[in-house]
Amino acid sequence: MSHRTGWTIAVLLVGPALTGGATAAAQDSQFGIRGLGTPGRWESVRARSTGGAFGPFDPLSPLMEAPLADLGQLTATAAGYTSNRDVVVGGTTTPLRTTRFPLMGVAGPVAPRLAVAVGFTTYLDRSWDVILRDSFMLRGVLERYTDAIASDGSVADVRFAAASRLSRRIAIGAGLHVLAGSTRMTAERRFDDSSFSRVQQSAEVRYDGFGVSGSVLIGVAPGLSIAGWARSDNRLRAKVADTTSAVTDLPRMAGGGILFAPSPNARVAASVAWRSWSKAGAGAFDTWNWSAGMEFGLRRMPIRLGARGGQMPFGPGTQAPTEVAGSLGTGRAFAQGRALIDVGLERLERRGGGLTERVWTVLVGLTVRP
Amino acid sequence: MTRRRLAFVGAVLLVAACVERLAAPGNCPDFCPSGQITIVDTLLTSSIHRDSSYRGYVLAYQSALMLAAHLPGATDTLDGRPIFRINGYGARIRLTAADTATGAILGADSARLQLYVVRRDTATHNLRLQLYRLPITIDTGTTFGALVAPFTDSLVRTVNIDTLLAQPGRKDSVTGDSVVVDSVNHRLVLSLKLDTAAARYVPTDSGTVSYGIRIAADTLASIAFAKVGLLGPTLQWYLRVDSLGTPVARKPGVLGAFATFVFAPPPVAIDSTLAVGGVPSAHSVLRVALPKVIRDSSQIIRATLYLVPAVPARGTPADSFVIEARTVLADFGAKSPIDLLLGDSAMIHPGATDTVKIEVTNLLQQWSADSTRPTVLVLRPEREAQLFGEIRFYPSVATAFRPTLQITFVRRFPFGVP
Repeated sequence: MSHRTGWTIAVLLVGPALTGGATAAAQDSQFGIRGLGTPGRWESVRARSTGGAFGPFDPLSPLMEAPLADLGQLTATAAGYTSNRDVVVGGTTTPLRTTRFPLMGVAGPVAPRLAVAVGFTTYLDRSWDVILRDSFMLRGVLERYTDAIASDGSVADVRFAAASRLSRRIAIGAGLHVLAGSTRMTAERRFDDSSFSRVQQSAEVRYDGFGVSGSVLIGVAPGLSIAGWARSDNRLRAKVADTTSAVTDLPRMAGGGILFAPSPNARVAASVAWRSWSKAGAGAFDTWNWSAGMEFGLRRMPIRLGARGGQMPFGPGTQAPTEVAGSLGTGRAFAQGRALIDVGLERLERRGGGLTERVWTVLVGLTVRP
Repeated sequence: MTRRRLAFVGAVLLVAACVERLAAPGNCPDFCPSGQITIVDTLLTSSIHRDSSYRGYVLAYQSALMLAAHLPGATDTLDGRPIFRINGYGARIRLTAADTATGAILGADSARLQLYVVRRDTATHNLRLQLYRLPITIDTGTTFGALVAPFTDSLVRTVNIDTLLAQPGRKDSVTGDSVVVDSVNHRLVLSLKLDTAAARYVPTDSGTVSYGIRIAADTLASIAFAKVGLLGPTLQWYLRVDSLGTPVARKPGVLGAFATFVFAPPPVAIDSTLAVGGVPSAHSVLRVALPKVIRDSSQIIRATLYLVPAVPARGTPADSFVIEARTVLADFGAKSPIDLLLGDSAMIHPGATDTVKIEVTNLLQQWSADSTRPTVLVLRPEREAQLFGEIRFYPSVATAFRPTLQITFVRRFPFGVP
């Protein structure tokens, strides 16, 4: 396959995202209902299987741009997952299930020292469905009702990135981020008393925003690298029928990581990230997140392990909800390394405000190097 | 084979994986959306205006029924009397169907009158039906007063329906009358035999006869006869015809009737109140100034029209009647074309003075959906001129008792607000 054909296929894969025709979402959470949503994880399946620790060093993870400089050939990747989530609140457990395709991208070198990438990932997931049972006095009678308020959609982060290796030790990258997406929201109320008609309202809420990012990757010593990144997004504007309904400030964020590869068959990494989500308003918190992971074994079929933890940006009360997760995974190369399938399994627990979420997630990633 | 199995299992897993289940019980306010469904309930006391009543939509002769009643009241007696005219065959009639030769009609041996009683109160006892011969000149303009004399001195038959129903086989072997109880359609089919004196075929009048009916009972004497099509009054003549000097018996085809009813006292004239029902039927038109915030920006989930009777509802005690509220396609006042697709109704009990509530949710939702529709309500009886019942409500000028609308609506949900 020629270089041009490869890019054509890649653009066809990513194109729908750029025009807003694709759907993407992160892992849903009840903690995102009252805030802007649930932030996505900008990681490929490989990186996520290591708890996200390899994210800053993974060229196919849209967290940093600098690793793109080391991508030797055109590469397209996509990821999908299915999660089974148990929401425990007040002693009641509700099982939920979602399937998402949170990542798609294509990247490759366009000049000897320059690589570019385009793709999308989930910035905020806004898919949830809340059922409420309550009553109130209406016309002098206690009327019982059931509310169903639902949101289906997400805000995608469409990234245009470029990276360059300045020297054997230093690579840098920068990215432009266009935030776009929509949610289909419905609000429905059914009264037990049929004298009252069913309330049913719906609207399509469209979102837009903009951001820039930059990153650097430094080889400190043979087998030892460090990475740093920063990003700033301006605001998220929500529009309903061409009328702006809300404008919310988006966070600045920064992070870093360290990768140590004592041998070709063993790699250990750790990373940390900070995000100033408290700018988003009441009920939002700045967050710190950490991760650590390893990958060992042959590159043809490695074993990956990882753990991560940190805070969630939205939640009730005065303290940010917390999350902790463990993950494992592997991958397999096919067709002389032109195709890779990565699989992962993650166990996640979130706590805050009297609510606990326990999630099993099965991840599948596909990478093609035409 | 193994590959096929694996592919099948994979497909099943793929389908199962794509099943979404997002609905979770809300734990508010911590884990619920900040926006909530906001219900507002408001009483519009001054939104109904320019209301008025009109009478004459369906006249007695246009009604589908003939009303018979005799109900003494405190001040007057409601007296309804069906009248009908049956045209005859003329002076001559064909002797046989195969021959055009005719013979002079000499007279009638007898006749059988069939009547359908389509509404009666089973609590009524000793129901008597009196048949009077009336002038053959009765028509749509005939009034109650014009028939006082024949209804006094021209009694031709009296039938006690309760007695007839009690007869073996529901047949009176002496008089030849019979009754059939149609329990499916809830009606009685009366067949009355009229002898030569009761059924006089007068060739100079072309054989036309007219009859009127009065009823009486111990209490609650009120029934209705069908008058349309095959259910209307019919008369089967048994004639004597001259066939070359020899009288022969002939039974020609059944003849239908022009039918209507007269009644007293006459309807009360339309005044400032909002009249609905009666004979001739009356409608009331109510114009509604629906606030824009409700019509344009909200979802109406319940609307109730409250009407306060100005006087107790009139009518026969056993005959509760239904009034309905409808919208119009265009506001032309009394002649506004009524939209028959949607309507809401309420039952009115004669004598009652309770406030009448009509749920008009459908109608107001239609106004919200189509802003070109005139916001006009028409109140009319469900069955026009088929009952004597009439109710009068206070109009909008009666400040303390004016018609009001209670509307429950939902404001626009704050979509897009985090």
